[in-house]
Amino acid sequence: MLIVEDLHVSVGATAVLKGLTLTVPTGEVHAIMGPNGSGKSTLSYVLAGRPGYTVTAGTVTYDGQDLLALAPEERARSGVFLGFQYPVEIPGVNNVYLLKAALNAQRKQRGLQEVDAFEFLGLVREKMKLMQMPETFLSRGVNEGFSGGEKKRNEILQMLVLEPRLAILDETDSGLDIDALKVVATGVNSLRDAARSFVLVTHYQRLLDHIVPDKVHVLVGGRILRSGDHTLAHELERRGYDWVSSEAA
Amino acid sequence: MSSPLLTRIAAEHDAALALQPSAPATLAHRRQALQGLLERGLPTVRDENWRYANLRILEKANFTPATGLPSTDGIDLPGTIEGFTRFVFVDGQFAPQLSALPGAIGAATLRRLHGELPTNDQAFALLNEAFATDGADIQVAAGAATVDVEIVFYSAAPTAAYPRLNVRLDRDARLRLIERHVGKVTTPQFIDSVVRIELAAGASFKHYRLQETGAATSWTDTLRATIARDASYHLHLLQVGALAARSSVDIELAGPAAHTRVDTVALADGPQVHDTMIVVDHKATHTRTEENFRGIAGGRARIGFNGLIIVRDCAYHADSAQSLKGLIAGSEAEIDLRPQLEIHTDEVRCSHGATTGKLDDTMLFYLLTRGITPEVAQRLLKWAFITDVVAKIDVPALRTHVQRSLASHMQDAQSLEELLS
Repeated sequence: MLIVEDLHVSVGATAVLKGLTLTVPTGEVHAIMGPNGSGKSTLSYVLAGRPGYTVTAGTVTYDGQDLLALAPEERARSGVFLGFQYPVEIPGVNNVYLLKAALNAQRKQRGLQEVDAFEFLGLVREKMKLMQMPETFLSRGVNEGFSGGEKKRNEILQMLVLEPRLAILDETDSGLDIDALKVVATGVNSLRDAARSFVLVTHYQRLLDHIVPDKVHVLVGGRILRSGDHTLAHELERRGYDWVSSEAA
Repeated sequence: MSSPLLTRIAAEHDAALALQPSAPATLAHRRQALQGLLERGLPTVRDENWRYANLRILEKANFTPATGLPSTDGIDLPGTIEGFTRFVFVDGQFAPQLSALPGAIGAATLRRLHGELPTNDQAFALLNEAFATDGADIQVAAGAATVDVEIVFYSAAPTAAYPRLNVRLDRDARLRLIERHVGKVTTPQFIDSVVRIELAAGASFKHYRLQETGAATSWTDTLRATIARDASYHLHLLQVGALAARSSVDIELAGPAAHTRVDTVALADGPQVHDTMIVVDHKATHTRTEENFRGIAGGRARIGFNGLIIVRDCAYHADSAQSLKGLIAGSEAEIDLRPQLEIHTDEVRCSHGATTGKLDDTMLFYLLTRGITPEVAQRLLKWAFITDVVAKIDVPALRTHVQRSLASHMQDAQSLEELLS
């Protein structure tokens, strides 16, 4: 599904990713863990195509195609989804409008007709129930006046409606209390299947208690220094990131 | 003061008077207005309050109004708003065949305005006085149910037009007035509008003004309002039309607890220039002002907004809030926002904020990651920028009309249909 090879990325004059290599097979959930400033969010943004992040070397292949050659909206339409660490508030743009416009953009790409309004509302209502979001959220501006937890749930709601093939969730667990964390995890788990892949970017192991990953990678200083199964997250929790850095050195 | 432009205006004035027989008193009044104008002179861009206006366009303007009854052939009026009694003026002249019968409308009386408006010394008001031949006068009686009126000033011919409107509300009277300036004239045209408003104690006036004139039109506008004790004046001003538009609004909060709210939206693109100056003068205690402005300039358009709030020394406990926002959407576009406070007493609360910027990159990227194209994302964000002020229009059918009008000016009618559905 996703093959990242020797990726080097700079933001301005600063090199952030320095030879990152990662393969996420179809149907798997991979967690990227690492300390602050290790390049986790940069990886998320580069995969989604954010301007200002310069790829100086390396390749990213998604579903057999060169992901870096696609514009951000083309990546989204071909099934890549980024759940933001800090979801953006857009007052004046209606939540339900954004959901519908986003879904229709994807359907168009796949040669499908626009979604029927009735069917669409049914779908959204079902997903909102899962995310324990009141329906009044639909008519509000995108993330406008939402609490931190509500914004994260809204990200997952969008993901559930769009059903991406590759979902990159950037610190979706940050700022969530334990109940909200469970709701978010339920949402993610409901979408997990053999045709979809997930990249979970996180600081902490607690999210991984609820969404058990197939693999855990430790990102330090712009490179993946260690990979393992889900037990690696527990080991990191016990021994800290310094342990990985010093072993690598 | 003399200038080639003033000399030409005086010559056109002589010729126009010769063509239009009128009562000696009217004639004298018009001559007096012209004399006032010639003595005072027209403003220039060197005047601080006019530096953002496009005044050069006047050099080429023709000031002579149409004469005789207007032809109503081929007139394409906007849809009516349910419950509002409509009166139409075509090229400055009342068009009875397109209008309700003048006279009583509920508690209000509408008659044609042949006499003079209280003259003020503003140049373009004097110019209007000198040339205008027709207008509307609305008087609303004390304490009755809300009266809903729509006045359409329509331009059919590329002649000059001098719309004028006089509104007086008695004690506790209530009026909602839609005032539209529309036209499909695409050749250069000069329109010079004057509005005079007087609100007695406790009166409430909601005034929705839509400027949707033709693409080569020069539109100037002078509005003066006096608000008495406990009265309230809400002005919604939408500027989308004209090549060059300038609104000069003076609101005097004359009595204690008088209140005004002014919500302005300006959309300019291509070579358009929209300039608005609003002066609110707090002359009594507990007077309140809320002022919101949203302007989007695309292409090489220029938008100016100058909001001056004056609080006199007797106006303690006055309260004013200004929120002015400009969005630059064109590489050569320009927006100048000037919130100004002139405060002569201590016990007041005045807040103001003015920001001008481009579209937010983070918001844009967020929309792109949802599969929205950059073009649609930009339109959406522009729409989002003005929508809070548009939402304040509390006549649903009018709000929908305004939304559609704005969308068509953003070349986004189709996406907006979805947004509204």
